[in-house]
Amino acid sequence: MNTDDLYRLLRTNHAQAQGIVDTVAEPLLVLDASLCVQAASRSFFKTFGVSSYETIGQPIYELGNGQWDIPELRHLLEEVIPKATAIINYEVQHDFPALGRRTMLLTARTLHQPDGGSRSMLVSIMDATDQRRRDVAKDLLFGELRHRMKNLFGVIQSLASHTTAEGRTAEEYRDAFLGRLAALIEAENLAFAEQEESGLAELLGSILAPYSANPHAVLIQPGEPVVLAPHIIMSLGLIMHEIATNAVKYGALSVPTGQVRVSWLVEEGGKTLRIKWTESGGPPVASPAASGYGTRLIQSAAAYNLHGQVELDFAIDGFNAEIVIPLGSASPED
Amino acid sequence: MQKTVLIVEDEYLIAMDLQLLLERHGWRVIGPVATVRGALALLEVELPLVALLDVNLGRELVTPVAVALKANSIPFAVATAYACPEQYGGDVLAGVPNAGKPTNERRLLAALDQLLGF
Repeated sequence: MNTDDLYRLLRTNHAQAQGIVDTVAEPLLVLDASLCVQAASRSFFKTFGVSSYETIGQPIYELGNGQWDIPELRHLLEEVIPKATAIINYEVQHDFPALGRRTMLLTARTLHQPDGGSRSMLVSIMDATDQRRRDVAKDLLFGELRHRMKNLFGVIQSLASHTTAEGRTAEEYRDAFLGRLAALIEAENLAFAEQEESGLAELLGSILAPYSANPHAVLIQPGEPVVLAPHIIMSLGLIMHEIATNAVKYGALSVPTGQVRVSWLVEEGGKTLRIKWTESGGPPVASPAASGYGTRLIQSAAAYNLHGQVELDFAIDGFNAEIVIPLGSASPED
Repeated sequence: MQKTVLIVEDEYLIAMDLQLLLERHGWRVIGPVATVRGALALLEVELPLVALLDVNLGRELVTPVAVALKANSIPFAVATAYACPEQYGGDVLAGVPNAGKPTNERRLLAALDQLLGF
């Protein structure tokens, strides 16, 4: 502050007021009745890159080469504020030469002097540009979460209505449905986990954990590490669950001596994932008479959701399956 | 004449749910199909009476399908969790009936009836 300022402030009895003005974090202007700047906070000078010399005593519209000569601000100062005591967070969008396009929130209050006629105006200016940007990003994220959640509800609804009920007891239906739901929950957990935890090894480990009480029953032979995109994790989790429950009901996991080996290969320079499921030591395998919901779920989830394919081989000495899916973001028809 | 509906939905389990539900109510389903490209290919073969579109197909938006349907004067509804689908899929989705997600049988049938002018 220079001596001219000080003199002006002393003359208008505002020395104390200036001290207060400077403690305000946001840029703040004190305007007189003719809209000339009586005082400004330090942060005003800093934010808009101006000196007190070129600011104090000047009409607000002439400040900084007319950067405050904004139609919305004129309307606010000349039409709105005189009729209201206070205006809070009035939004103004403007291209400031030094700052670029900003969203400013103006809060203003008229102060009537005790001596009668004269009045002044406090105007604080908050730069809400970054806040607005964050709000938009947050809204987008929220929209995505909502979309994802509703999709998940749709999937659960579909599993509940299509899990076979005919010819089953309520308990059997419940167990079959809850098994699928558990696989979905495991997969969702992984899909939301940190990237290093959302790998194929982790997915197989968690989906097959319920069948691994006997450590020799399920043998996972890891290939090279594969990180899976969220949409792949869910479908692949459901597929592996269906194959595993089939093994428990009819295959190698239906007897204590049976064994399942799961392995994978990454092919074509990371473009394709091939998962092999091999059963041995189980009862003689018979081809299913009609394909049930589980089989359709496996085939369709692989083809429709993952753009891949599944081969189910009901070999007499042990069921085996091969799942081939494209990795990465491009779908095969692109 | 049998009522036909094109279903575009990228999640198989939801697509199948929609298909079986609509077939129970006398619709013949074209598709379901998971991608814009697949949907446009089906439209080349046969134009449905109406269409039911998911907005977010995972890696793409359904917008080009909506534009093609509009060009062929085929009314369509969306089945989406988005409250304002046009915010995501563009103006072509503004004012379109939303059958909602997850599927609610009554709301879905009402949306399709609206398309048929009932």
